[in-house]
Amino acid sequence: MPKQRVWDLPVRLTHWLLAALIAFSWWSVKNHHTGWHIWSGIAILTLLLFRLMWGFVGSSTARFANFVRGPGQVLRYLRGGWSGIGHSPLGALSILALYFDIAIQVGLGLFNEDEDGLFAGPLANFVSPDTSDTIRAIHELNFYVLLGLIVLHIAAILYYRLVRGKKLTKAMITGRAATDPAAEPMRPGKWWVALICLGIALAIARWVVAGAPPFGS
Amino acid sequence: MRTKLFTAGLALVLVSACGSSSSSQAKTQSANALNAAAALAVAKPLTKAQALSVMHERHEGMEDVGKNNKVLRRELTAPSPDLLAVRAAAATIARHSSEAAHWFPAGTGPDLGKTGAKPEIWQKPQDFGVKLHNFQVAARAFDAAAKAGDLAAIKARYADLSGTCKACHDTYRSEMHH
Repeated sequence: MPKQRVWDLPVRLTHWLLAALIAFSWWSVKNHHTGWHIWSGIAILTLLLFRLMWGFVGSSTARFANFVRGPGQVLRYLRGGWSGIGHSPLGALSILALYFDIAIQVGLGLFNEDEDGLFAGPLANFVSPDTSDTIRAIHELNFYVLLGLIVLHIAAILYYRLVRGKKLTKAMITGRAATDPAAEPMRPGKWWVALICLGIALAIARWVVAGAPPFGS
Repeated sequence: MRTKLFTAGLALVLVSACGSSSSSQAKTQSANALNAAAALAVAKPLTKAQALSVMHERHEGMEDVGKNNKVLRRELTAPSPDLLAVRAAAATIARHSSEAAHWFPAGTGPDLGKTGAKPEIWQKPQDFGVKLHNFQVAARAFDAAAKAGDLAAIKARYADLSGTCKACHDTYRSEMHH
């Protein structure tokens, strides 16, 4: 089958940066680099905001409207009656779960404060120390939920590679994959739209770092 | 005898380290360094009950330092800090910093019970003693600044104090959740 573009550069960059930053966040907090951990979280927040916007104005395979499907389509896919490029209806559920959980994790992190009161997320002053402690406990527990979703994500990729013979990882690196020639090709997004999205994401992240509403509680 | 030599050596290191300060300051600092070293060097081994009691006191004390530090962090990052709250927290931390001289006798490590204190404390007593001493000095300086009331100075001394907490915890405190 001929190779076609399936993932644009912003989608691939967001994916690999997220993977790297999640690993770094885990490593840094385990090794007393709490300051780096917080900045890593802010970087993840920026990526999430960018990806959210790109999901509305990006390339055709990046748009939620093109890959988020109802249970009917998921069943059809499971029965083998789906053809297309980009996220499959089942894969879309996995992507949504991952992004949703990462968003929860980052959101909780913003209100966190460490046990010693030496490090704090930019919005920690909006909650009491006790509430912040509770939020930190949930943040720590939710990491295991995220870890579970990541394991599922990797297991699915291995399944497709070993059982179905599909090289999903390579496609996420090169952006190209062998696709059904009948499927509608990817419509790329515009580079300047990506830049505007990135600018807005950075501005919102900067606003959060400043302590949000009118800059602090 | 070895203990005496060690504490004398430690005092010497500290005195020479702050050679630029006035002699009276140097005297106080060396005396404090002796206290800090005494915290680690105990002639007679503690009974298990004594050791557990010290560990309990240490835990409660450190937790209270943390609580007060959270109040400080909030106040000092707020647009208009409540000076009375800052003073109360500063005094509490300074008091605990003095008590801390007696918080780390030998035999109160993770071998005995659940604690965030790492065995390295007793493996590198000289370095730990210096770091504990730095904390005590910074806590008193911060307390003095809080009493004086100049916000810029308070914030500067608070940054110093936080630095001494981090310096020690990075090496000598393990992750312990309760």
